Amino acid sequence: MKTFEQKWTAWIDGELTGHDLAEFEASLPDPAAAEAEKHDAQKLGTFLKEHLPCRAMGNEEFFNHQLRERIASESAVPEKSSAGGDRVWWPIGRLVWVGATALAMFSAITFFVMRENPATDQSQYLSQILNARVDPVVSPNATITMFESKEDKVTILWVEGLQSLPSEFASK
Amino acid sequence: MKRRSVLLLGLWLGLTFGGVEARGAETVWSGLVIANNAAKPEPASPELTYLEETLRDWFGYNQYKVIGQSRKILVTGSEDWLAQSKYFSLHIDSKSGNDKTGYRVNLKLFQESSLLLEWEAKLSKERPIIVKGPQVGDGQLLLLLVVQ
Repeated sequence: MKTFEQKWTAWIDGELTGHDLAEFEASLPDPAAAEAEKHDAQKLGTFLKEHLPCRAMGNEEFFNHQLRERIASESAVPEKSSAGGDRVWWPIGRLVWVGATALAMFSAITFFVMRENPATDQSQYLSQILNARVDPVVSPNATITMFESKEDKVTILWVEGLQSLPSEFASK
Repeated sequence: MKRRSVLLLGLWLGLTFGGVEARGAETVWSGLVIANNAAKPEPASPELTYLEETLRDWFGYNQYKVIGQSRKILVTGSEDWLAQSKYFSLHIDSKSGNDKTGYRVNLKLFQESSLLLEWEAKLSKERPIIVKGPQVGDGQLLLLLVVQ
């Protein structure tokens, strides 16, 4: 059972026909005023249809782009998480490369440190006279003394009593 | 990636064995020097410049002249060479047993053909060896061994 408002709306829209139309028009208290109101409503409807059309999409491409981006980002989420899982372990090639780099750096540092650091036991790096002798027949009075001068950083073998020679022996 | 690895390996090998190579490429300077006092002493030769003060302290002369010398680059460490003047010769024989602390050398000083002095030493870069030889005229014969 339709209410009066529903029948009124249908009558203005021209949707009432036949027996319903006749019955409704008979029930109207002031048919002339109702007719005028129907005319005004139809006029307003026509006006609105003409002057307020559906707003056209100004940036269709931009909208589509935004939509595609969003779809892509949503669908890419599981892929990213799986890629992150692969990165936990490095590939063999990269491990070898990093190992070689570390080894080279270690060797370089060791080389320079070893080269710059003085010897802990200095004495073993100093020159030493292990033994010395003169011919007792040629130089019977010769004596041999060894000095290790820490101040001058020289090792000296001091031989006394060798036969003296004339100055001509000083020539080149 | 491969090229970079080869480069790094090369660098490592170079650094590792470079030290050994440098150790093997040391030069030993050996000289026969006459020390005496002169009214106008001549400047010492470049090989003696840094030792001149030490020589003066120890021997007291004001002039040091090189009368014979040799410079030997030790490659294997087992080499022999000679430094000689007109009348003297110093024969140096580097023997096996060399290590990072120095070279083990056997030395003989000859006056022409007669052996005056023989000694064995361990020669290191840290410290030269100076030998006081016979008196020659108003001066003194000195023998020097320096790892350069």
